[in-house]
Amino acid sequence: MLRFRSRVVAALLSCGLAPLGAQPAGLNLKVFGYFQASFGREKAIDRPVELKSFSLQQLNLFLQKDLTPNWRAFVNFEFVNSYSSFRNWGAQNLEEAWVSYRRSEQFNLKLGLQVPTFNNLNEIKNKTPLLPYVIRPLAYESSFNEIIALDEFAPTQAFAQAYGFLSARKLKFDYAVFVGNSPNINSDPEAGQTGVDTTKFFLAGGRFGIRTNTFKLGVSATLEHLDFYRGALRLGYEPSGFRKVPRLRFGGDFSLNAGKWLWESEFIRVIYDDDHPVLDLDKEFYYGTLEHEWTERFLVYAGYWVIRENNLPMEDLDLFALTTGAAYGINETISAKAQYGRVRFESSTLSGIEGRANYYYLAISVVF
Amino acid sequence: MAFAQIAIIAHKAVPEDTLSQALLLDFYSGEIKSWSNKVPVVVFDLKPVGETRELFYKLLGKTSSRMKSIWLKKLLMGEGEPPAALESEEEVVKKVAATRGAIGYVGKVKVTGEVKIITVVAKKEK
Repeated sequence: MLRFRSRVVAALLSCGLAPLGAQPAGLNLKVFGYFQASFGREKAIDRPVELKSFSLQQLNLFLQKDLTPNWRAFVNFEFVNSYSSFRNWGAQNLEEAWVSYRRSEQFNLKLGLQVPTFNNLNEIKNKTPLLPYVIRPLAYESSFNEIIALDEFAPTQAFAQAYGFLSARKLKFDYAVFVGNSPNINSDPEAGQTGVDTTKFFLAGGRFGIRTNTFKLGVSATLEHLDFYRGALRLGYEPSGFRKVPRLRFGGDFSLNAGKWLWESEFIRVIYDDDHPVLDLDKEFYYGTLEHEWTERFLVYAGYWVIRENNLPMEDLDLFALTTGAAYGINETISAKAQYGRVRFESSTLSGIEGRANYYYLAISVVF
Repeated sequence: MAFAQIAIIAHKAVPEDTLSQALLLDFYSGEIKSWSNKVPVVVFDLKPVGETRELFYKLLGKTSSRMKSIWLKKLLMGEGEPPAALESEEEVVKKVAATRGAIGYVGKVKVTGEVKIITVVAKKEK
C-alpha cells in the first residue's frame, strides 16, 4: 500500500513538474522554507515550577511561481509547536496564498490570503530566520497563543493589499493599505460554528512610513467591527449594545541602523469603542531591542517588552520581559540562537496573581 | 580613495552611465528592479570574501550580514531572490557582459572592454 502511494505521489510530482521543465528558468516552481527547533527551560522564581521542553517551534513551507514577469503566486504552509495531528499537538495553518502584481516600485498589488503590513514585525513575525530571537516580542510569539491573544494586537490576515514606495532624494515614503475580514462571530464551536464570518464586517488598515538608508519610521492603524453579544450574554449584560463594536488598533515603529548597531522598537494600542461602563478590553504592547553585530556571523541583543492586556471585568494581565540573547550564523543557511528572559507578570483581578520567571532557550534555525 | 580600487560594471546596453549610491543600494537590495529603459536589473554578487567585496559593501553603506538579511527577507516574503554570487571577478565580468540589464562589481584592474563602467556618486569616505 505504502509503495503504491509512493508511486502515485511520484507520478503526480512528475506530471506536475514535467511541463515546468520546458519553461524558461525564471518561471519554474520554487519550493523552499525554513524551520526552527528549540529547547527551553522555564523556571518560576517564587514557586517550585519548572518546565523543560524541546519543540519544533516553526516550520514553514513555501511554493512560489512566477506566472509572468509581473505576476507571482506564493503559498505558505505553516506548522507550529511540533505539529502532530496524531498526538493532538501544535497547529497547522495555511498562512498565505496570494498572487502579486508588480507594476513598479510605486505600485504593487497582492490578492489572496496574506499577512498584512502593520508596524515593523507583523509581516515577518513567523519568519524566524529573519529574527535573532528564539522567543519573539510577546505580541508576536505564536508559541504563547494560549496565554496572549495575539490576533488582538496585530491583524493576522488580509485579502487585498496595495503597497509600494515613492522616492524623493534619499527619502522613501512607504505606503500599504489593505482590507480583509474581521475575525468575529462565527468562531464559536459551542454554537456549531467555526471559521471566520465572511459575510458581515471588513477589516481595513494600513501603514505609512518614511525611511532612509539608516532609519525607518512608520504609523499603522486598523479598523474593524466585532460582535460580542454571546460574551455579553454569558456575563449577564444586555447584549444589544455589544453588536458591531468598533476595534481600533494604532501602531508605531521606529528602527535605526548605525554601522553595526540596530535599534528596533514598536508600540501597539488596541481600543474597543464599546462605551460600556464596566467592560474594558483595551490593550497595549511595547518593545525595544538593541542589536550589535559583533562579527559578520555573530550578533548580540538586549530588549525590553511590555504587554498590558485587559479583559475586564474578568481579568487583566501585565507582562514585562527583559531579555538578552545571541545568534551565530554557522553558515549561509543555519543559525544557532540562545536567549535568556526574565519575565514578571501581574494581574490585579481574580486571585491577584503575581509572579516572576526565568526563561532560557536554545535554538537552531535552518533555511532550505 | 579606497573606493577608486573597485569598479561598478554593467552590460553595454544599460542606458545609465552614472548612479547614485542610494540607487545602487536600491538595485542590490531589490527595491528597484528595472533600469530607466524598463529592462529588468540583474544583479551579480561576489562569493569570495576579500577586499573587493568588502569595499563594495562599504560603498553601499551596509555590512555584508545586513545585506544578507535584506535578501533573506525578500526571499521569505516572496518578493525576490538574492543575487547570484559568482566565484571570481573574471566570472562577474563575463556574466555581466553576457546578460542584458546586468550589473556587478570587480576590482578596477579586472575590467575589460566587454562591459561598461558605471560611475557612482558615493558618500564621502570616513
